[in-house]
Amino acid sequence: MAQVLGVLSTPGGTVAAVESLKQAGFDNLEVYSPVPSHAIEHALGKGPSWVRLWTLIGGLTGVATGYLMTIWMAYDSGVVIGGKPFASIPAYTIIAFELTILFGGVLTVLGLMAHGLLRTARRDPVYRPSFSNDEFGCLVRCHSDQIPRVQELLQGAGSMEVRVVEG
Amino acid sequence: MAAITEPVAANANQINQDILRVLTPPSSLYVISVLLLMGVVGAGVAALAYQTWKGFGVTGLNHPVMWGVYITSFVFWVGIAHAGTLISAILYLFRAKWRSAINRGAEAMTVFAVITAALFPLIHIGRLWKVYFMLPYPNQRGLWVNFKSPLIWDVFAVNTYMIISILFLYVGLIPDIAAARDKCTDWRRNLYNILALGWRGTAEQWRHHARTVLHLSGLATPLVLSVHSVVSWDFAVSLVPGWHTTIFAPYFVAGAIFSGMAMVITLMVPVRKAFGLEAHIRSEHFDNMGKFIVLTSSIVAYSYAIEFFMAWYSANPFEQGSFWHRAFGDYWWATWIMIICNVVIPLPLWIKRVRVNVVALWVISIFINLGMWFERFVIITTGLSHEYNPAAWGYYTPSWVELTILLASFAWFLMWFLLFLRIFPIVAIQEVKESHYETQEEGAH
Repeated sequence: MAQVLGVLSTPGGTVAAVESLKQAGFDNLEVYSPVPSHAIEHALGKGPSWVRLWTLIGGLTGVATGYLMTIWMAYDSGVVIGGKPFASIPAYTIIAFELTILFGGVLTVLGLMAHGLLRTARRDPVYRPSFSNDEFGCLVRCHSDQIPRVQELLQGAGSMEVRVVEG
Repeated sequence: MAAITEPVAANANQINQDILRVLTPPSSLYVISVLLLMGVVGAGVAALAYQTWKGFGVTGLNHPVMWGVYITSFVFWVGIAHAGTLISAILYLFRAKWRSAINRGAEAMTVFAVITAALFPLIHIGRLWKVYFMLPYPNQRGLWVNFKSPLIWDVFAVNTYMIISILFLYVGLIPDIAAARDKCTDWRRNLYNILALGWRGTAEQWRHHARTVLHLSGLATPLVLSVHSVVSWDFAVSLVPGWHTTIFAPYFVAGAIFSGMAMVITLMVPVRKAFGLEAHIRSEHFDNMGKFIVLTSSIVAYSYAIEFFMAWYSANPFEQGSFWHRAFGDYWWATWIMIICNVVIPLPLWIKRVRVNVVALWVISIFINLGMWFERFVIITTGLSHEYNPAAWGYYTPSWVELTILLASFAWFLMWFLLFLRIFPIVAIQEVKESHYETQEEGAH
């Protein structure tokens, strides 16, 4: 499979490139961008991130841990403090709240690493330093006989440079 | 908030260059400053070693004032941390675009402030080697920590806050570390390479990154409100006159944002000047921060007034005695420093001309820092020194050991901040660029 890279200078131009490629039936796309862009995400047709599930699991684990840990430890100690019941829910709610946030936050970041970062940590021949500065990259994976059509579409969208990249 | 519509810089490349320029080899003034701060930190470590060796008798802490400079400083530094989370999380959820120029500095400040704060309970323990007693761990006595105690709530709240603040700062930094990696040629390139975790700015990465920042903001927003509320309950849940009041949680949170915002100004004004970041951190940003100070100063002023009113209205002689003592007793000077610095000195900020005058704002911010430290000192010492029984009243004077450690805490905080701004981008590059592109596209339509 061939790879064609178009280098663009604005998010708007990148969105236009993605839309024209999608319309022409090219779905295997990757976009490099120095800034986040909802418009690019929308044009690529990406769904919501799975990170949200990690947050939910973390939060639920945190709240359950907070209540179960405090109640169990109070019963296990068996020491009555201030005449209050072992399972003093209002006091333990603070611990449960903090652990909800802690576990939710830590798992959210682990989710980011699992989905977005560490999975893509391999060397990338397409990436260039200007993609973290002021240039946008639109990479199209296609059959070699489709290269001229892709080049034409990328140029039509205002690419500053279009080239075939060795995979 | 003042609308910011003008373009922040000529182009995205300019933004990159301007902000990454701060990472170039430091000047001799910078090196001397860091060494000086390290020296003061060293003095603090020596004082702590002396205290640990000799025992708590070397401090001024004694019956009835068993909490003094250390707990005052703990509450002060936790408070300072709050502005960072306000700017990075709450204003993110409100889509306040003006935050982009100052959020990184504020987030870094949060992390270093909360790390500084976390040191004080350890110092205050005295027996440092018993620090693990605060954590629930299996032991031969079959005892667990007392989860009904506000002090244990604090352990969980402050540690959660520290971990979440570090994660928030780091996640926001990843794309900027990648930008630094791609620009850097010296030894730091390897560091950035590892810390960027393979960031390439693909749409897939941005999609997960944006969701992570959103969720962390959603989690950090109630967290920031809870942390200083929990800290305030260290006092409010007790029966000490002057402490036992329901107003403490909102009063402490407002005070925290007030002092934190002042500290952001104290730090960012010299940074802006020293590194020529005027194009990115502009007078509009200071104007907006000034408005926050006006708002929170008003809440703090109201809280001071209502505390005195409630003492009078309650007809409780102990409460009345405590507040009379606060205003006109042994610590009258501390109380009036607090009122003048936190209520009177910020008043000119109602005028826009003062808010956009960075020198005036900077001077006022320093007074607010001072005033907010004294606020916590007043609450703690006047409460404890003047409880129910006149025979048990006392006067607390901090010793040189406590004052050295206090001074060292400021040096410690500033040292980390200075080191941070030479290693990592102090302005969020990708957020400033995002605003730049948005302004550009709005102009094109």
